[in-house]
Amino acid sequence: MSGGAWWRIGWRNLERHPKRTVITALGLGVGYFAVVFLVGWMEGIAAEMVENATGLVSGQVEIHHADYRPERSLYDTIGGRDGIDVEATVAEVLADPAVIAAAPRVYGGGLLSSGESTSAGMLMGIDPDLETRLSRFLDELVEGRLPQVGQNEVVIGAELARQLESGVGDELVVMAPGADGSLGNDLFRIAGIYRTGLTELDAAFSVFALEDLQILLTLDPGRIHEVSVSTADPWIAQETADRLAVALTGGGMAPEVVPWTELRPEMVEYVSLIDSFYFIIFAVVFLVAMFGVANTMLMATFERRREFAVMLALGTTPSRIVLAVLYEAVGMAVISLLVGAAVTFPLMIWFHNAPPDMGWLYGELTLMGALMRPSLRVEYNFVIWTQAAFALLATAVLAAVYPAVRAARVPPADTLSGS
Amino acid sequence: MTDPTSPAVRTEHVWKTFHQEAEEIHAVHDVTIEIARGEFTALAGPSGSGKTTLLNVIGGLTRPSKGRVWVAGRDLTEMSNPELARLRLEQVGFVFQAYNLLPVLTAMENAEFPMLLQGIDADERAARVGELFKRIGLDGMEGRRPGKLSGGQQQRVAVVRSVASKPALVLADEPTANLDSAASDALLDVMRELNEDLGVTFVFATHDTRVMERCRRLVRMVDGAIESDKVRS
Repeated sequence: MSGGAWWRIGWRNLERHPKRTVITALGLGVGYFAVVFLVGWMEGIAAEMVENATGLVSGQVEIHHADYRPERSLYDTIGGRDGIDVEATVAEVLADPAVIAAAPRVYGGGLLSSGESTSAGMLMGIDPDLETRLSRFLDELVEGRLPQVGQNEVVIGAELARQLESGVGDELVVMAPGADGSLGNDLFRIAGIYRTGLTELDAAFSVFALEDLQILLTLDPGRIHEVSVSTADPWIAQETADRLAVALTGGGMAPEVVPWTELRPEMVEYVSLIDSFYFIIFAVVFLVAMFGVANTMLMATFERRREFAVMLALGTTPSRIVLAVLYEAVGMAVISLLVGAAVTFPLMIWFHNAPPDMGWLYGELTLMGALMRPSLRVEYNFVIWTQAAFALLATAVLAAVYPAVRAARVPPADTLSGS
Repeated sequence: MTDPTSPAVRTEHVWKTFHQEAEEIHAVHDVTIEIARGEFTALAGPSGSGKTTLLNVIGGLTRPSKGRVWVAGRDLTEMSNPELARLRLEQVGFVFQAYNLLPVLTAMENAEFPMLLQGIDADERAARVGELFKRIGLDGMEGRRPGKLSGGQQQRVAVVRSVASKPALVLADEPTANLDSAASDALLDVMRELNEDLGVTFVFATHDTRVMERCRRLVRMVDGAIESDKVRS
């Protein structure tokens, strides 16, 4: 007997009890949706976390003097005391095909005072034009504008502004140890205030024009501490760092080029942990679905014991009966997959492109030091979609094995005589 | 291989014993019988006389507790379950009291089901079933599902199913029990016609006198044993 005939019998059996078929298919379809959506949501959280952790300030790759980390000494500038051609170095970094932005930075520690208030903080010198292409924390100042070169201007975080009881236009006295051993101090005017939502960042970082901070820290114009790099995808940071390390080595410069995966290993571990949850989600969801399908198939095959007995009496082999029930299960899986896809994909597209704002529920939050947008954003993962489809198929078939074997073991004579 | 010269059925000291708690019930009691090819035979007797059990043993649906059974010259007692399934498929047709058509298949698909299992091609199946449907008055009902057929029509489909694959014998268990007199007579006419025209061997288990009257050979059973075996002239 051809497989086509068994398929036909399988499909028609599914049509016999449309409500039961639809309910079972919904169970499996919702299982598919749950897996795809939950994994997509967890990937969304992970992607958001990595994106914010690397995109807000730091970038995906950092280039330093080889000795800069971990002390982050003022003296360990790229290229040593002689410094580098900053413009040429940035241009060389930007020449890498994976790099989408690069910006030089100078760092120092200092005290900021306004009236009676004083606060210690990290001083950060930036090229405003390059920096805004790289990082996001200065994208939308809550007040004012970015510092201009030669104007002795500073942008501070909202929390620091609160602590110093200062606002845009107010003057700050900034004191910082210089690279020549002196204690530099100067008067700066607050040009703008930023707010990231990360209190530690909003309280600590004061942003200056690169050249103005170099003057305060008595660093020559070619002396910078970092070139921060943004890549097209956070997960290609390692390869990009390796290429940049090769490209930048030479000419007296042997910088350390480190990807964020090395700077934030705890975040990589967290993402790996999330990945390992996928298996648990698959197992739990489809195991629950399997019992539901097995129950339905058991009921369906029990109701048809007499039909199986007739088939066996007419010469159908038990293995053919098993196959017939499994065909039916595959049919059920196909319907379930269609139902699941019809539910899943529109919601995935919606939650990916216009994720609902969940700020009303849990406000702003930080995870692993990264600011998380309060939204239910999901990520697409075609591999997971395919794996979930195969898992659904396997669930339906595995759930049908026991009912199929029972159907094949129906004793024809006893069943047909009604005992 | 089947032996075309051998009888359709032969049993030798067949017993079928069921165990009910501590009690042994001999549903078939030392039955030895031979049914030649082309016979139209009734196993008659009251309920519990063992006729259906004997029919099931002959059809390979259940194994005898003792004794041997041959169908078309092949010893069933030596066969494995798959071999028995194969023998039923190739040599035995069944007609059941409750019709037992598969509800998801049409009349045509039900009738050709054994031939589908045998791997006979679609044209041949359609030709055989079409001819038999015409012969027994089911013309035009090929596409109907069992639920859309009367009891008599369903039983006629079952008869076509039992003979279309050209088995050595057809075993019919109370085929008229659920039919009214007119439908019973019509069905028996059809079966007799198939027996006479095509040489199909029929063995009935019945307590219906109309069936007994039409059979050339009447085997009466009581308490699992053969009480009498008469051939009408």
